[in-house]
Amino acid sequence: MSQTTTAVAKPTTAAAPRQGGKSTLGWVLHNVVWIWLIALVVIFGLFNEFFFTTFNLQNIMVQATVLGMIGLAVALPLLVAEIDLSLPANLGFSSAIGAMAYSDLGLPWLLAMLVGIAVATLIGFFNGLCITKLKMVSLIQTLSMMIILQGALLALTQGRTITNLPDAYVWIGQAAIGGGWPIMPVVFIITLVAMAVLLRNTVLGRSIYAVGGNPVASNSAGIRVDRIKIITFTIAGFLAGVAGFLLASWQMAITSNQGSSYLLYAIAAPIIGGVSVFGGRGNIIGVLGGVLLLTVIQVGLAIISVPSFYVGMIGGFMIFIAVAIDAIRVRYFG
Amino acid sequence: MTAESARQPSEDPFIFRVENLSKRYGSTLALRDVSLGIRRGMIHGLLGENGAGKSTLVGLISGQRVPSSGTIYLDGRPIENVDVKEMEKAGVFLVTQEPMIIDHVTAAENLMLGIWPSKGGFVNWRKLRADASRMLAGTGIDPQAMAGGLDAVARRKLNILRAMFSGGKVIILDEPTAALTVEDRAQLFTFMRELKAQGVTFIFISHYNDEILEICDACSVLRDGALAGGTEDVGSLTSEQLSELVLGRGLVLFQRERHAFAAEEPAVRLRDVASGKIGVKAFDLRPGEIVGFTGLPGAGAKELARAIFGLAPTQSGTIAFGTETQRPLPATPRDAFDMGIAFLSDDRHRDGLVAQMTIGENISLSSLSVVARAGFLRPEAEKLLSDRYFRAMGIKAAGPAAVVNTLSGGNQQKVCLGRVLATKPRLLILDEPTRGIDIGVKQDVLRIIDELARTGVSVIIVSTDTDEIVRAVDRVCVFEDGAIREEFSGEAISSERLRQGAKERADG
Repeated sequence: MSQTTTAVAKPTTAAAPRQGGKSTLGWVLHNVVWIWLIALVVIFGLFNEFFFTTFNLQNIMVQATVLGMIGLAVALPLLVAEIDLSLPANLGFSSAIGAMAYSDLGLPWLLAMLVGIAVATLIGFFNGLCITKLKMVSLIQTLSMMIILQGALLALTQGRTITNLPDAYVWIGQAAIGGGWPIMPVVFIITLVAMAVLLRNTVLGRSIYAVGGNPVASNSAGIRVDRIKIITFTIAGFLAGVAGFLLASWQMAITSNQGSSYLLYAIAAPIIGGVSVFGGRGNIIGVLGGVLLLTVIQVGLAIISVPSFYVGMIGGFMIFIAVAIDAIRVRYFG
Repeated sequence: MTAESARQPSEDPFIFRVENLSKRYGSTLALRDVSLGIRRGMIHGLLGENGAGKSTLVGLISGQRVPSSGTIYLDGRPIENVDVKEMEKAGVFLVTQEPMIIDHVTAAENLMLGIWPSKGGFVNWRKLRADASRMLAGTGIDPQAMAGGLDAVARRKLNILRAMFSGGKVIILDEPTAALTVEDRAQLFTFMRELKAQGVTFIFISHYNDEILEICDACSVLRDGALAGGTEDVGSLTSEQLSELVLGRGLVLFQRERHAFAAEEPAVRLRDVASGKIGVKAFDLRPGEIVGFTGLPGAGAKELARAIFGLAPTQSGTIAFGTETQRPLPATPRDAFDMGIAFLSDDRHRDGLVAQMTIGENISLSSLSVVARAGFLRPEAEKLLSDRYFRAMGIKAAGPAAVVNTLSGGNQQKVCLGRVLATKPRLLILDEPTRGIDIGVKQDVLRIIDELARTGVSVIIVSTDTDEIVRAVDRVCVFEDGAIREEFSGEAISSERLRQGAKERADG
């Protein structure tokens, strides 16, 4: 113990000047996703004025739709402090089921599509059961489910791309009204509103936040924690199913690895938008911000014709900055 | 220690001193111009109600928070750039209520956590064990015991020793007696006196006058963020004087007017309750009766309370209200609430509050179906409910919209109590309802429970706090080995009788 007595602190520079402009900085950091979004829009626009065209805006809206749907799906398990990595794979697998119910079983396209979404919903429900009743760790359980579904999609398609989708099936992804405004984003907007209402104004939504915030206390407060988690995973599965239908309809094709490329972006979007991986924190507006930010980065990098070898790296770097700023915000401003 | 003092003489009689320390959070001044000095080798008590600024002061002197203004001196030298590392380097260590112990490694390894003796990057296990054995000699802790198996007092000792071994000269103990039994507390105090004799200085934070009077040499009292008073000689103070310093007014201790209930028809009948090792054939509560469950930890009082609420892993038995027929005990808390049973946990952080929600949202959490229609929350109805209980509990906060984790412990407990009362229970079970809250708020809580009982609600209070049992209940059930060993009521309830019983059981 003797050496410590001499170690009395030496006078160094004062640590005070963190107070000034704290509230302004706090505001900026709180809205960092939106500020970063506007900044990127301006930057991309300066590089190439094509970025500001109506056509490009329409393009961004369409691109944001599928990512937005899957991003919302991923956000739900995060809010209850779990994670579902299988959602993008679920998206691809369920859309293939829907398409094959049409082409191989001869079901009407609408019914076939609903079969696809029902399968996606069931997979979400099953994940929820495994995590609550069997107490499996969601990270690993859904990782294995992701691999299963990716493999199943490959097996179903035998490596081929499904393209014989009926016109009615692909209508939603192709239709546009006056001046080329696409219809598809309307689905995303409706879902956004519905999810916002669900989370803000319903008993279920409040329970989701409570369970994510403190599952033990929620149980003691009379919330059926397992049930809430299962419902959350089920809704997430449903949203993945809808996203699968939209993606197939938009691309007019289902590849043998449909959806897989969305995995990281779908997880990044809600987290960038302020959804906590520890549960109980985050809102729908934030998720929208995250989705738009990622979409603008993707589209913008393509438009200013960054060589494709660099797109991944630069995109990743931009996401890194957004997450780092968010971490700083949480660290200093809660 | 003495050799050192000789080597490094210091004119300052205070090993640790703060001058004009203030801390501002936004518009609120949490700590106002506090100056105090801690003498070398003393146990210095720090007393104050919840929200008086104790936690803020502790945060500042342990380096967890940066003061808005003021200076901290150690050995007469000002410390600038205060942070935890700097303070620990200077020898000031904070030992919190929640011991930082890793359960699945041995006591010896816990002691050396982060300061492993090493040779070329490899841990020198032999030296580690030797050092640890030397440190732990005479403490009754086996160096090779898994930390997870240690009892509460051993864990606290381990943390204090770790702080000392890391070079701690001033050790801040933040409510070290919370959740300790009377025997454990005596053991801890003996341990502290031994360390004091070796020259360690303690800052001892407590809610309890008797603890301050028993162990401390000097003490300082905080009230409303400022220094309310203090003494260099605790021996000259009485408990009443101390209370008055803490509260700034004479404190009226709550005392329930006891009722005789024997003749009335029971409002709650429990039959054949079994869970784990507890077994209770029959237990009845009258309407408006408050029954205290007490006993040593593990004797079954807490376990029975949790079983009635559906929180035990397995439970069997039946319950009936009034003239209703016997029904199986609830399987989950939700079922319990639906039957009219409410429960307040003893651990409000782990098992009470949802920290990131507002006060209002925490209050309405168990009553969401009441304030909703077809699954949609009705904001007016929810606000009405939250406001009512916010006011009824006398919660000190800006309003129900404030985030709950900004509240002091006592006010957080009131939020939890508001939540369970908002469910309008017929049977209310409270597990250590006043643990870790200050004496003023404690009276408030006991009063609220008393008023509720007057409306006919039957209440069970699980408590190891003899004083609380004596003041608040009509009947006491003493638990042993999972069963009710003895019952007494009315004037027979006295702290002497309770202590006597506890002693007999402890002796065999």
